[in-house]
Amino acid sequence: MTVAPPETMRDAVPRRGGVRALWAGNPWAVVQRGLIAARSSSWVVILSGFFEPVFYLLSMGIGLQSFIGEVQVTPGVAVSYAAYIAPALLAVSAMNGAIYDSTWNVYFKLNYGKLYEGMLATSLGPLDVALGEILYALLRGLVYACGFMIIMQVAGLNLAATAILALPAVLLIAFGFASLGMAVTSYMKTFQHMDWLNIVLLPMFLFSATLYPISIYPQWIQSVIMAFPLWHGVELIRALTTGAYSTAMIWHVLYYVVMIAVGLVFTTKRLRALFLD
Amino acid sequence: MTPGPAQGGSDAATYAHPSLDELRAEAMARGRRPRRFGSWYATEHMLRAMRAYGWTIVVGALGQPLVYLFGLAVGLAALIQQDIPTGGGGAVSYLVFVAPALLMTATIAVASEEFTYPVMAGFKWRRYFYGFNASALSSPQIANGVMIAASARMLFAGGAYYLFIWAFGAMTGMMTVPDPATGWISVLIGLVAGLSFGMPLMAYAASLEADKGQFALVQRFVFMPMFLFSGTFYPLAVLPWGLQWIGWISPLWHATELGRMATFDAPVNVVMLVVHVGYLLVLSIGGYLLTRRAFTRRLAK
Repeated sequence: MTVAPPETMRDAVPRRGGVRALWAGNPWAVVQRGLIAARSSSWVVILSGFFEPVFYLLSMGIGLQSFIGEVQVTPGVAVSYAAYIAPALLAVSAMNGAIYDSTWNVYFKLNYGKLYEGMLATSLGPLDVALGEILYALLRGLVYACGFMIIMQVAGLNLAATAILALPAVLLIAFGFASLGMAVTSYMKTFQHMDWLNIVLLPMFLFSATLYPISIYPQWIQSVIMAFPLWHGVELIRALTTGAYSTAMIWHVLYYVVMIAVGLVFTTKRLRALFLD
Repeated sequence: MTPGPAQGGSDAATYAHPSLDELRAEAMARGRRPRRFGSWYATEHMLRAMRAYGWTIVVGALGQPLVYLFGLAVGLAALIQQDIPTGGGGAVSYLVFVAPALLMTATIAVASEEFTYPVMAGFKWRRYFYGFNASALSSPQIANGVMIAASARMLFAGGAYYLFIWAFGAMTGMMTVPDPATGWISVLIGLVAGLSFGMPLMAYAASLEADKGQFALVQRFVFMPMFLFSGTFYPLAVLPWGLQWIGWISPLWHATELGRMATFDAPVNVVMLVVHVGYLLVLSIGGYLLTRRAFTRRLAK
C-alpha cells in the first residue's frame, strides 16, 4: 500500500528565481539584532564616527579660512570657505560611514561571526539580510548627520532653508554606498583586501570638489571625477545647504537611485550565491 | 650531579646517552646564533609576513604621495594664491610648505598601522610572539623585530614620498625642495617621527588584552586630530590658542618643523631645534623602553 505524501509536500517545488525566494519581508529583524548588539559594544567607538567631519571642519574651516576666504559655488554665488566644505564633509562622512558598516562590519560577521548563516537558517532570505544591514547602517548615519547639521546651523553654515533636505540626501548617499559596499565585501578573502578600499576612497575624497572646486583641473580630469559617486553627493548637498540650486540636482539624485538599484541586485545575488546555491 | 653513562663505552653509546652537561652544551651552541641575532630573526619574520599585503604597501607608498600632491598641494594651492609665511619674514609656495608635513604624516600613518593590529595579532589572535619566545629569542628581541621591520616600511614610504616631491618639482618646474643638500634628511626625520608616535603606541598595543575598538579610537581621537591640528596645512600660529596645544604635544608638528628646516630655508632657531629633536627622541626612547617592558611582562605570563 502506498502512502500519498502530505498535501503540502506534494506541492512543494524548489524555490527558485523571483524575489519571493529571497525575501521574507522582515529586514527589521536584522535591524533589531543590530541595535541589541550595539548595546553590548563600546558606545564610545560608535559615537566616535561623528567626530571625524567635525575635526575636519574645525581644522580646515578655521585654519584655511584666513588663506582662502571665499569660494565660488556657482557663478555669482560665493560662500565662506567653511560653508563651502561643510556640506562636502557631510557627504564624505555619509560615504565613509556607509562603507565602514557595509565592509568591515559585514566582513567580520560573514567570515568570523558566521552570523548570516544563522540568520539564513531562519525564514529570512538574503534580501532581508542585505536590506536589514543597510537599514541599520542608515540609522547610524542619520544620527551622525543630525549631529553635524546642528553644528552647521550653530556655526551659521546653513545658508538656505533647504538645508534640512540635506538629511534625506545623506540617507540617499549612504544607501547607495552601503548597497554596493556589501556586494564588494562578499568577494574579499583576507582582511588586508580591505586596504584597497582606502586606495579607492582617499582619491575620491580628495578630488570630488570636497576641499576645492574641480574647475581648477583640465576638462578630462573633471569628467573622470564626475563619473564617481561622491562628487554627485557633494554637489547635491552643497546645493541644498548653500541655496545654489540647479537642474543638475535631478541627475545627482538619479545617479544614486540607479546606484542603489544596481547595488541591491548585486548584493542579493552575491549573498544568494554564497549561502543558498 | 648525574654521572656520565658511557664511561669507556663506544661512540654509539655516548651518542645514545649524552650527559646533561653535553646536552646543555649542545643546546647552548645551537642557541648561540639565534640569541645573538634574535632581533634580525624576528625582523625577517615580520618582513615576510608583510608580503601578505605587499601590494597594499607598494600601492599605498607610491599612490598616497601622488594623490595627496595632486589633491591637496596642487588643488588647494590653486585656491591659496598667496605664499605661506615661514616666520622670520620669509614665505614659500603652498606646495613647498605642505610637502614635508605630508611626508611626516605618511610615515606616522605606517607606524599607526604596523604597531597596532600586528602586535595584537602576535599576542592574541595568532600568538606568534609566544612561538618566537619558546625559541632562543628573548622578549626584547621580538619587540626589536617588530620595530625594525616597521622602520624598513617607514623608510620606504618616506623615501618614496621624497622622490615624488622631487619628481613633481622637476616635472612642473616648481622648486619643491629649495634646499636639496639637506632636504633628504627629511626622510630620516620621518623615520624618527614614525618611531616617536609608534613606540608609545606599541607599548599600549602590547598591554591590551582584548580588542574593544581601542585602535579605532586612537585613529579617530589621536591620529586624526594630530593630522588636522599640527600645522600640517597651514602654520600652527593661525589656530586659536585653545587648539594650538594639540600641535605642541604632537610629534607630527615637531617633525614637520624639522622637515621644513631641512627642505626649505625655514629659519633655524637653535633652541627650537633642540626642543624638536629632544621631544621626538624622548618619545621614541621612552616608548621603546616601555615596549620592551610590556613585551617581557606579557610573554612571561
